[in-house]
Amino acid sequence: MRKLSCALLLVGAVGGASSAAWAQETIKIGVIQPLTGSVAYNGLTYVNGAKLAVERRNAAGGVLGKKVELVIEDGQCRPANSVNAAEKLIVRDKVVALTGAFCSSATAAVMPVAEKYKLPMLSGVSSKADLTEKGLQYFFRSAETDRLMSKTFSKILAQKLQLKTVAYIGVNDDWGRGSVEDFSKDLGALGVKTVMKEYFDHGATDFYTLLTRLRAAKPDGVFVAAETQDGSILVKQFKEFGIQTKIFGVGSWATADFIGLTGEASEGIYAAVPYASSMPGERNQSFVQYYSAAYKEKPGKYGAAGYNALNIVMEAIARAGNTQADAIRDALRKTDYAAPNGHFKFTEKGEGYGFDVVLVQIQNREPKVVAQAPTEKP
Amino acid sequence: MQFERNAILGALLAAALLPLAVHDQYLLHVAIMVLFYAVLATSLNLVVGYVGEFSLGHTAFLGTGAYAAALLSTKLGWPMWATIPAAGALAAAMGLLIGSITLRLQGPFFVIVTLSFAEVLRLVADNWVAFTNGPMGIAGVPQPAWLAEAGNLATKQFYFYLAWGVLAISLYLAFRFVYSNAGRAAVAVRENRYVAQSIGIRPFRYAMLAFVLGAFLAGMAGGFYAHYISFVGPEVFRFAFMVSMIIMVLIGGKGTLVGPLIGALLVTFLEEYLREAKELRLSLFGLAVMAIVLFLPRGLMGFLTARREIRKPATPPAVSVAANIAPRRQGA
Amino acid sequence: MDLLPQFLANGLVIGSFYALSALGLTLILGLMRVVNFAHGELYMLGGVMGWWVTNALGLDFLTGLALVALVMGVFGWLVDRVLIERIRGQGEEPGILLTIGLSIFLANTALLVVGTAPLKVEGPVSSGPVFLGPIVVTKIRLFAVAVCAVLIVAAYLLIQKTRLGRAMRATFQDPMAAQLAGIKTANVYACTFALGTIIASLAGMLLGSIYSAQVSVGGLVSMKAFVVVILGGMGSFAGAVVGGLVLGIAEALWGGYVATGWVDIIGFAIVILTLVFRPYGLFSKRAERA
Repeated sequence: MRKLSCALLLVGAVGGASSAAWAQETIKIGVIQPLTGSVAYNGLTYVNGAKLAVERRNAAGGVLGKKVELVIEDGQCRPANSVNAAEKLIVRDKVVALTGAFCSSATAAVMPVAEKYKLPMLSGVSSKADLTEKGLQYFFRSAETDRLMSKTFSKILAQKLQLKTVAYIGVNDDWGRGSVEDFSKDLGALGVKTVMKEYFDHGATDFYTLLTRLRAAKPDGVFVAAETQDGSILVKQFKEFGIQTKIFGVGSWATADFIGLTGEASEGIYAAVPYASSMPGERNQSFVQYYSAAYKEKPGKYGAAGYNALNIVMEAIARAGNTQADAIRDALRKTDYAAPNGHFKFTEKGEGYGFDVVLVQIQNREPKVVAQAPTEKP
Repeated sequence: MQFERNAILGALLAAALLPLAVHDQYLLHVAIMVLFYAVLATSLNLVVGYVGEFSLGHTAFLGTGAYAAALLSTKLGWPMWATIPAAGALAAAMGLLIGSITLRLQGPFFVIVTLSFAEVLRLVADNWVAFTNGPMGIAGVPQPAWLAEAGNLATKQFYFYLAWGVLAISLYLAFRFVYSNAGRAAVAVRENRYVAQSIGIRPFRYAMLAFVLGAFLAGMAGGFYAHYISFVGPEVFRFAFMVSMIIMVLIGGKGTLVGPLIGALLVTFLEEYLREAKELRLSLFGLAVMAIVLFLPRGLMGFLTARREIRKPATPPAVSVAANIAPRRQGA
Repeated sequence: MDLLPQFLANGLVIGSFYALSALGLTLILGLMRVVNFAHGELYMLGGVMGWWVTNALGLDFLTGLALVALVMGVFGWLVDRVLIERIRGQGEEPGILLTIGLSIFLANTALLVVGTAPLKVEGPVSSGPVFLGPIVVTKIRLFAVAVCAVLIVAAYLLIQKTRLGRAMRATFQDPMAAQLAGIKTANVYACTFALGTIIASLAGMLLGSIYSAQVSVGGLVSMKAFVVVILGGMGSFAGAVVGGLVLGIAEALWGGYVATGWVDIIGFAIVILTLVFRPYGLFSKRAERA
């Protein structure tokens, strides 16, 4: 018994010493994403994009002469768990910056924690508009907000699809509700009437009742705010139900897996997305190439979000010249990052703008870019 | 009774000294969560251990308390020392309401109906956007103003002692309940409902008492949660919280006062340290639960108590009584 | 008002799925008094296996169905003999906890193995729309309803007409007397659990071909199954069928005429009302045993 405990102690000491030694060689960036739960699917693609960015950067020499290390924690898209994860990353792992936490509600809970510890935090996904309205100094957001998307695309959609009446369907969470509200407001301002507004729960599998009401309402177009899992089932049932109305949606609709799941039912659907693998430009082409080689599928919205977020943070650290929180924050404010989908800049409130967003139509199982526009400063 | 009282006082004392020794904020955070879960486990234990019925709807009270505190402080501006007791009171009222319907049922019916109530509350919180802000939840639950100037460590220490206070009150109330006539009557009901009825104990009344007290404590924990995490959403009603509570009560040992404390400590640490295993974490958790049910059915406290009882020799009075009777019978 | 036929049709289709799903649960609950919280995960495993069998092994749907039934039956039998046997007779609490632990383990291990993406089970017919007057259904839904009906009838015949079924009914009425009559109750329990598992997993595979199979679906399925079982009465065959249809239609009507977001509340409201007014369900004639 004695011998065993001595041996364990020795192993532990060696392990501790070596990890401490190694730790001094790297710059740690914390990532909080849902790795389990109903949005784990998308959280994992974000992590994939983030890892790709770090790998490429490390291969090119790292940041400030050191390698970058990602410390990834599972926030499960839940406020309490994400706060736990943040505490661990900041206090235990001593990360120099945080990215996460995917769902706006989880991000809203982590933001004050990062602010308290005066640590820069970047959210690449959370799209709720008021996250940047709280006067926090250390929070940045490189994601598109529903407001931004709706402002950029409402006009194009109304004209192109010749919409006079629209039905709105959204998933019942902060993002779904927010998207429906923003789009119905902007489209309404253009004279398009709202004939139906319904929400469904995450994980709902049978939409027939909703579709029955939709068919009776006879709209010109249907707006859908849903993610891959729910969205693919909904779209399939649309076609099963025999509904021919034009569909346009927000969410991860231009991705390979969405199209794979929906099959032929995806034909003709419009999607307003902040990223599509078919966007033009050399930066995007090389990004798509690298991503496909690493993960055997084309990147989608969340993969690109993870990739961009990490690149923005790493560039800021390099620009700051050191790993002091305030220096990184100031450097973040001056960001002008050349992404696969345009240029990213931040307002004084930390809200991202300037990047391109696209309207695609799925034709022959490929997202074809129909319109592309840069987002304006809000 | 002695053992329990001393154990509780010892644990509280040790906990009170913790922030003086530990300055790592992450560890303090984990400790605060332990205290929070200890209150929840104690409150659930009152229902499961002392009423003897398995409630899967306890999150209804946690959630009611959390939303109450969040709404009272954000919409009406109440300060924290008022919202937490108010949260407890509102949860107790909810306990009265739910208990009056559910406590008439037993066994699997009780299990499913309590679960249904918790789910109904979750759906209401999720959909009644005007009142609860739906899935967007209530963010920015305020902290006391003077905390803004204090440093991070001081803030954590404040919350630690606040949680400690709530736990101390909970344990006091639970202790007084269990070792009172009401508590003993509840235990009688748990052991054998019909015999208890035959000696004049009305099961419903005592079950209700334990239930409402459990609801009150869970509500206070909810109020604390609202102020500490500063964000309350429909996920407080989720089954995941319920599972954690159940596991804590069972590992520690239901029907004892110390059991939930041990359970809270073990499970919180287990959850945090199993983070390393990440994806495997929850699978291991499931296996752990099954193992406990199969091999440690009375929890750790039950296991330890059973071992103590085996070791103790027969008590003297019984021996002398037997000695008195035996010769007589042999003679006759 | 002209939407009513469509709502009813939707409700009947979903209701028959609920009925099949709950059947497995009611047998286990009624016979063994075990509140099987892992029911939803067994359903999920059926769906995942169905995907594997039709995609990776390339079998056609009905052969795949038979294979899934076989494998899941053995699995259920083992779960009963290895796990549930140990806690029989200890009341229902250990059963609840054991099955909760089992459900957590199964759900997360499946997550590790197949990942989070929805999986498509290849059905034998297409999902094109079929127009029956003003009502729209799809071929595969009709097929699934037909298979449901066949399975329900098959289960009924098993319980009423075979020796095993008689043994089950005897054990249900009085385990002690059944043992005295020479019935190996341990086997009966294991077979019952296996039967419940088979029905649940077949329901999962069937519905996986209409929607898709996902590892996270277990919790919701369990809840809905409990609602139906309570409504119909534990252990009651007819109760599960009628209860399932009632729930399906009630949800369709509420969702259609009120709002679709609140639909799940119907089930729980039904449970609460049932337990308050008719605790043993609509179909049960039992009184409480002392």
